[in-house]
Amino acid sequence: MDYFSEGLSQAVALLLSLDAETFSAVGATASVTALALFASLLLGLPLGFALGHFRFPGRRAARLFVDWMLSLPTVVIGLIVYALLTARGPLGEWGLLFTVPGMALGLTLLGLPIIVSMTATAVESTDTRLTETLLSLGADRWQLLLATLVEARFAMALAAATAFGRIVSEVGIAMMVGGNIKWQTRTITTAIALETGKGEFATGIALGFVLMVVALVVNLLVALLRGRSNGRQGGAQPGGVRP
Amino acid sequence: MSAPLYSLRGVVVGYGEPATANAVLHVPELSIERGSILGLVGHNGSGKSTLLKLLGFLLAPSAGELSFDGRVVDAAGYRAGHLLRRRAVLLGQDTCLLKRSVAANVAFGLKLRGQPVSQAALAEALGLVGLDFVEFGPRSWRELSGGEARRVALAARLALTPEALLLDEPTTGLDRASVGFVQQAVLAARESRGTTLVIASHDVDWLKSCADRVLLMDEGRITGEILGEL
Amino acid sequence: MRKLIIVLAMLSAFAFASTALAAEDIKIGTTTSTADTGLLDYLEPMVLKDTGLAMRWIAVGTGKALEHGKNCDVDVLMVHAPGAEKKFIEDGFGVSRAEFMFNDFVLVGPVKDPAKIKGRGVADALKAIAAAKASFASRGDDSGTHKMEKNLWKVASLPVPDKDSWYIGVGQGMLATLRIAAERGAYTLTDRGTWIKYEAKDQGKSGLAILSEGDKALLNQYSIIQLAPKCVKIKHAAARKLEAWFVSPAGQKAIASFNLEGKQLFFPNAAK
Repeated sequence: MDYFSEGLSQAVALLLSLDAETFSAVGATASVTALALFASLLLGLPLGFALGHFRFPGRRAARLFVDWMLSLPTVVIGLIVYALLTARGPLGEWGLLFTVPGMALGLTLLGLPIIVSMTATAVESTDTRLTETLLSLGADRWQLLLATLVEARFAMALAAATAFGRIVSEVGIAMMVGGNIKWQTRTITTAIALETGKGEFATGIALGFVLMVVALVVNLLVALLRGRSNGRQGGAQPGGVRP
Repeated sequence: MSAPLYSLRGVVVGYGEPATANAVLHVPELSIERGSILGLVGHNGSGKSTLLKLLGFLLAPSAGELSFDGRVVDAAGYRAGHLLRRRAVLLGQDTCLLKRSVAANVAFGLKLRGQPVSQAALAEALGLVGLDFVEFGPRSWRELSGGEARRVALAARLALTPEALLLDEPTTGLDRASVGFVQQAVLAARESRGTTLVIASHDVDWLKSCADRVLLMDEGRITGEILGEL
Repeated sequence: MRKLIIVLAMLSAFAFASTALAAEDIKIGTTTSTADTGLLDYLEPMVLKDTGLAMRWIAVGTGKALEHGKNCDVDVLMVHAPGAEKKFIEDGFGVSRAEFMFNDFVLVGPVKDPAKIKGRGVADALKAIAAAKASFASRGDDSGTHKMEKNLWKVASLPVPDKDSWYIGVGQGMLATLRIAAERGAYTLTDRGTWIKYEAKDQGKSGLAILSEGDKALLNQYSIIQLAPKCVKIKHAAARKLEAWFVSPAGQKAIASFNLEGKQLFFPNAAK
């Protein structure tokens, strides 16, 4: 089978010719992913901090719940979000079904548990020493939260990258909630599903390459920003002062 | 003579119910004068660290009464504990540096307090522990040796000019030169700013060389005072 | 992070720019066959030019498409399951149904034809397959094609053999089902469009061939369904306008002019 070589050359052609349909799908993928990732981070970081930092009754159950949500199949999330957003569903008034924000909502449900779980783990692992350090330096509650998140930034960048990977490559929710509408909610992944369904395997692979290129660009950008903010790359080792 | 900075009466720190039955620290009576340097010696688990956390307001007593600056610290005081912690600063054994530059680490506590950060203040604090601001200020937390990191952590507390500075094993693992810098910084803080210091260490000789009093601790209690040439 | 957001914003602006010119969007709930064959892509510019409507279709299985209609999630339906469509209208979800084109299904199977069905009518062919217990691959996904297949067993006065070991429930799309049929040497029912594309790709190497075709029972009628007025928010007027175009001489001619690998696929048959 020469699907690969055919797919690769087709991918290059799609990108170089600025193929409108392809770029529309790239744009839809980008906006949906950006929205969903932003919402996941906005909600997930404080929740993850709370889960990792505070000892409260039911914490283990909450942790279990979040980790359980990690394995929720995307098809099920898609169904749930469809049931919420359909014109006759509880949120039907919002008119979000088959729209980019609607898809973003569904994909937020996918990204949120990842951010919460990984943030909680990161906060937990830095917690005792860092908390004592921050408190002894005079931090109040909010400063403690903020500074802990800043200290856990490498782990959180990893969480964001992981959530990005899941969201950008997701197809079940995007299909079910977005409807794969050309020029509107057709993302790269749903376009791949469509082309595969049509038997256009090479085109599917070409779009797959396009998705990989997009993901690479984003990862490079993140690495660049990370490198600049930190001075150098490296693992998230605690800044121990004990010899 | 003014009132002592700290005075403890019947203080017990314990876990579980009743806390007094599982006490890890029991201090019937202790006063710490302003501007004094108090040394604590004892084995691991003798209660030194617990006492320092208590004095640094990271722990509240399970029973008894702790007064700071002439006022009994009540439940409301502990709820707004950061206000007390901004006056009595602990450098614990579990203290770490933040993943920032040396300068940012030293400036961090000032920023938390909403105080202006001047380069001169940072340079002075680093100078007290024998680190050059121009050389070390921009360095990353990753580029420090263990001894340097420990001294930066101390400088970060000195920059805050607290009323009390509580040091838990500040010399552990340091080479002779670094120990000298710590000692110099401790004495300078007291001399120039009137800072009250409480220092826990297992190095009796070193403690004796800088403290006014050295108390011996064992099994959560103060069991005696080490007297001798001071 | 800010840079990243700017880049993403630019990309999304690009995506929306291409839709900004469009006139009035109309959401069509349809089946995969109309989209996968490329028919709607082909008709899209003509519809836009003649009516000012920008077709936006959500192509899913027939069952799901009808569900979208029931939930008022689309403006109009374009489906091919007459039985289910009539029930849909009887149940009060739709108000009218306009037939406008058909395509047809074919029964394909291994060239060796173990059950000897070549040239037979579809009912006889299915009876022969069942009698020979020859492998039969079924879509098994409640799609229009699957519904058609179940109906054909009824025409052949046989129960749907979904518990027999020679009956393979695939649960996937038509192409996947054809591929599985080829691998297992099984018979299967397929729409002609998918078959044409499959054969063109495969250049006859799969060992499958059309064995029964042209039977009246194999015709696949498409219709446009107008949804009930209780769907208050949808574009009823635009839906009527779309239907009017599809049954008009211009629309009917456009449908006839669409071809796949040089072969006409859809045959207009709107009531005059």
